[in-house]
Amino acid sequence: MSLAGFILLGAMLTVYVLLDGYDLGTAAISPLVAKTAQERADAMRSIGPFWNGNEVWLIAAGGTLFALFPKAYASSFSGFYLPFTIVLWLLMFRGLAMELRNHFTSNLWRDFWDVAFSGASTLLILLLGVALGNLVRGVPLDPNGYFVGTFGFLLNPYALLVGLLAVASLALHGALWLAMTARAELARRSLAVAPLGVAIVAALYVAATAYTFAMHDVDGIAWWVGLLPLISLGGLAGVFVAARLARPGAAFACSSLFLASLLSAAAASIYPFIVPSFPRGGGISAAGAMPGDARVLIFAVAIAGLIAVIAYSIVVARSFTRDAQNR
Amino acid sequence: MDLVSADRLQFAFTIMFHYLFPIGTMGLAPFVAWYAFRAWRDRDEEAGRIASFWTKIFGINFAAGVVTGIPMEFAFGTNWAAFSARNGAVIGQPLALEGIYAFFLESVFLGVLLHGKKRVAPQFYVLSAALVCLGSWLSGYFIVVTDAWMQHPVGPSLAALLANPFALWQYFHVLTGALVAGGFIVGGVGAYYLLARRDESIGRRFVRAGAITALIFSTLAIFPTGDRNSADVTKYQPIKLAAMEGLFDSTRGAPLAIVGMPDVPSRRLIDPVFAPSALSFLAYGNFNANVDGLKAYATQLWPPVELTYYAYHVMVGLGTILAALAALSVLLLVWRGRLYRARWLLWLLLLAMPFPYIANEAGWVVTEVGRQPWIVYGLMRTSQGVSPNVPAGETIFTIIGFAGMYFLIGVLFLLLTLREIGLGADRGVIR
Repeated sequence: MSLAGFILLGAMLTVYVLLDGYDLGTAAISPLVAKTAQERADAMRSIGPFWNGNEVWLIAAGGTLFALFPKAYASSFSGFYLPFTIVLWLLMFRGLAMELRNHFTSNLWRDFWDVAFSGASTLLILLLGVALGNLVRGVPLDPNGYFVGTFGFLLNPYALLVGLLAVASLALHGALWLAMTARAELARRSLAVAPLGVAIVAALYVAATAYTFAMHDVDGIAWWVGLLPLISLGGLAGVFVAARLARPGAAFACSSLFLASLLSAAAASIYPFIVPSFPRGGGISAAGAMPGDARVLIFAVAIAGLIAVIAYSIVVARSFTRDAQNR
Repeated sequence: MDLVSADRLQFAFTIMFHYLFPIGTMGLAPFVAWYAFRAWRDRDEEAGRIASFWTKIFGINFAAGVVTGIPMEFAFGTNWAAFSARNGAVIGQPLALEGIYAFFLESVFLGVLLHGKKRVAPQFYVLSAALVCLGSWLSGYFIVVTDAWMQHPVGPSLAALLANPFALWQYFHVLTGALVAGGFIVGGVGAYYLLARRDESIGRRFVRAGAITALIFSTLAIFPTGDRNSADVTKYQPIKLAAMEGLFDSTRGAPLAIVGMPDVPSRRLIDPVFAPSALSFLAYGNFNANVDGLKAYATQLWPPVELTYYAYHVMVGLGTILAALAALSVLLLVWRGRLYRARWLLWLLLLAMPFPYIANEAGWVVTEVGRQPWIVYGLMRTSQGVSPNVPAGETIFTIIGFAGMYFLIGVLFLLLTLREIGLGADRGVIR
């Protein structure tokens, strides 16, 4: 049951990264591809209706983490009090910047909000990446499971490398989103940066993966975990090919595959812990606190709810696209 | 400031600011659904424009609610780690389900309302409006269930949590409170249009719908929901009841203090005005029943008496005044529509808009401050719930940060809302 909970949580966080990832990535890449004020406005508009709903995945995943693994929730959030609060403020500020921007007519103000929006989003990706890196590396925990390291500990080379990988891959994800949804020049230019983006992401990915294998003992891992890096590389290659063939939708799907396999590999390296300790060998177990039958119930109710969410999201998306085709 | 006070201050500040927006979403959602329904059923184009107008204001409330809601979820882990580690397996359940069952419903179908008016079938649009309303009301239920467990711990099974006897009337009271606010918002905006002599046809509709809604729900807020909710408090939390009423001595035929100031050191009310025996009747349905006073309990078990007392009296006082104002408005409305020309009353309706918010917030202060010193009633003290590893200074730092961030959000919210109201409700579909 603990594995099922772990997978559910991992799946919800993965969906969050795929969805909010393109919002954040669009914000990060738009200074490079959106040249005119009109194009910057177009880039904003392509994510405007969606970012709030995408953030709901983070809220739902947070609630699920809280319910299934309260000890991990408590110790990681309080252990990283200031970093998490800063992440929170950045999340809020990015929403503010997006909503505020359209209510100023002065170009100077709009430029300011554009920079604020891109800056906050990029920093947010970096911090989330650093957090993921530290999770894979392990963090120093006391016997009660509370974090005992310092801020400086969190900014280690490995975590920073993962942070950079996160920025590059979500910027690429965002560029592909723009290539898929924006118009004319902006879409063309966004697609054109994709091959370079793939090269940068691939370099960072290989470095980070090599670092991970060097850092961790690889003897005990399941055979299929070894396939995940191949899927990731395949996804990246797919992005490259699809971008060359001017198929932005396929490229976006390949990028999603890359991100999902990357996160799965990270999750596989963390399990059977939720927060592994540093040095590795212990940590807060994914076994959780809830008695088994209570877990089954909340689990079933949560899964049923998520299936309903996915079903009506598809119905809504279809009713929108059907209309687009009719016109 | 010590750690517990700092954590409590931060939670109080962030939750009270956050709650302003759910009041708006729960209170306005039925108006959106109603006008969308009217537009479809009666081919009423004006109702369609009204639905779009309230959808935009609902959307601003929803966005601000999401943005200020995430910190609440974070706070369980960041500031209340000991509480969360011990109780997360219980109260995490309704919180997780709120995300899955309520927020997705709200956000996905709000997307249809905001961007799909011309793109989806009209029935689907009406259905979406109803589902947005359902989502916002469900969200309220999951939160009240979470809170009710802290007031009256039952469970830990999900079924027991969702059927907590403390939750039922509290939920209806919370919902009626939000609908009173919704009525006064709609009525107040209508009053503004009539006073400004613009959008008058729509202004009249708003004043009518707002006044009737406000009257219905301010009555329901008093009886049965408020009455039954305090019966639950009497049953499960008699100390809270004594603090709410400022009753120090256990009394047969206890009077109800209409006004008066609690003087805790000398254990009495200063300058009280009493309704004789009324408290006994309200609490137990019997004018001669004994009501336990605060002195019947050890002082370590008392909640902060003054704050609980004043918040309760603010809520009840405002609730009564608002019910009277709504009744007067409906009276002039049915008296051949005199309400539309009674500028003094329109002014009152306009100026009344903030007060339902204050009454709602005051009600929550009664519930949560009155729960002290417990974080889980009778089981865990608030002082045992804080994160042991976060210094008070860090919390004070983040309180200041939140104050700055929320100032920006508050300005933005008012700016956007007033702009929508200023642009008028008669503008056709959303851009």
